[in-house]
Amino acid sequence: MDGALKLWAVVAIVGLLNYVSRLSFIALFARRHVPPLLVRAFRYVPAAMLTALVLPMIVGAPGAVGFAPAPKIVAATLAGIVAFFTRSTLKTLGAGMLALWALQAASGSMG
Amino acid sequence: MRRIASDPDFRAGFAEMVPACVAMVPFGLVCGVGAAAAGASVWGAIGLSAIVFSGAAQILAVQLLAAGAPLAVIVLTCFVAGLRFVIYSAAMAPYLRPLPARWQQGLAFLLTDQAFAASVRRFDAGADPHAGGRHFLGGGFALWMFWQATNVAGYFLGNLIPPSWSLDFAVPLCFIALVAPHFRTSPTIAAAVAAGVAVIALSGLPMKLNLIVAGVTGIVVGTLADFARERWTAR
Repeated sequence: MDGALKLWAVVAIVGLLNYVSRLSFIALFARRHVPPLLVRAFRYVPAAMLTALVLPMIVGAPGAVGFAPAPKIVAATLAGIVAFFTRSTLKTLGAGMLALWALQAASGSMG
Repeated sequence: MRRIASDPDFRAGFAEMVPACVAMVPFGLVCGVGAAAAGASVWGAIGLSAIVFSGAAQILAVQLLAAGAPLAVIVLTCFVAGLRFVIYSAAMAPYLRPLPARWQQGLAFLLTDQAFAASVRRFDAGADPHAGGRHFLGGGFALWMFWQATNVAGYFLGNLIPPSWSLDFAVPLCFIALVAPHFRTSPTIAAAVAAGVAVIALSGLPMKLNLIVAGVTGIVVGTLADFARERWTAR
C-alpha cells in the first residue's frame, strides 16, 4: 500500500475508533445495562494499559543495546513518587527531566 | 462562537488547562518529530494530531508505520491503547447526562487523559452540569489548540532540538503522571505489575503485540485481584 494512503487510512480508522471509544458510554449511559463484570474490569484498564505503554520506554528490551539505562529508571521512579503525591503533570515532568539531566551530567563528568 | 468565548466557565476551563498544556509541549514536539521521521507529509501529520488527538496512539502509529507494520496491526494496537477512553467515557457519562446530545457528541471528541482528570475534579466539586460542560469545552479546546501547535512545531523544528536534552523522556513522564496516582489499591497495583512483567517478558514479539497481550493480562489480573479482595474482606 502507498505510504501516504496508509497514513490516511490510519488517521481515518484510528480517529473513528478513538471517537467511538470516547463517545461510547456518554451516548449509551442509562439506555443499556452494562454487565457488572465489564464495569469491574474497566477499572483496571488505565493502570494496565498505561504501565504497558510506559515501561518499555524506560527500560527498553532485555538483551538490546543499552538495556536498563540506570539514569532513566532512577529519574522515572522519582517522577512516579512526585506524581503519586502531587497528581500534577507539570511537576512530574519537571522532576523527571531535571533528575535525568542531573544524572546524565554526573555520569558524564565521572566517566 | 463569540458568545461561548466570553463565557466565564469556558474561560476558566481554558485557563485551568494551561499548566497541563505547557506540560504536554515536549510530548507534542516528540509526536511531530515522529510523524516527520515516519515520512508523513505535513498534512498527514496534522491529520494525525487533529483527528486522532491522542499522543499514545500517534506515537504507536508512526513507529509502526515506520517499521512497515500491516494496517490491521496498527489499527488494533492503537485501538487497544485507546481503550482507556471507554473508561473515561463511562466515568464522565453521569455528569454529561443532563446536556443536549450535540454537546455530548462534541465534548466526547475532546475527551483526553488531561481533560478527563481536570473535569472529574471540577464535577466532583459539585458544579452545575451546564457550567461544567462549558468548562470542559474550554479546557478541551485549549488542549486541542496547543496540541496542534506543538505537533506542527515538532514536525518542522524537531531536528533543531539537541539529542542531549533527551526530550523523548517527556513521553513516559506524561504517562507516569497519569498512572502513578492510581497506585492506591492492591488490585490496581496487581494490574500494573502483571502488565509490566508481561510487556517486558514478551518484548520479543513483533510489531508491539506485547503491548496488547500485556494490557489484557493486566486487566484480567486486576479484575481477579478485585474479586479476591472482595472475598477476603467479606469473610
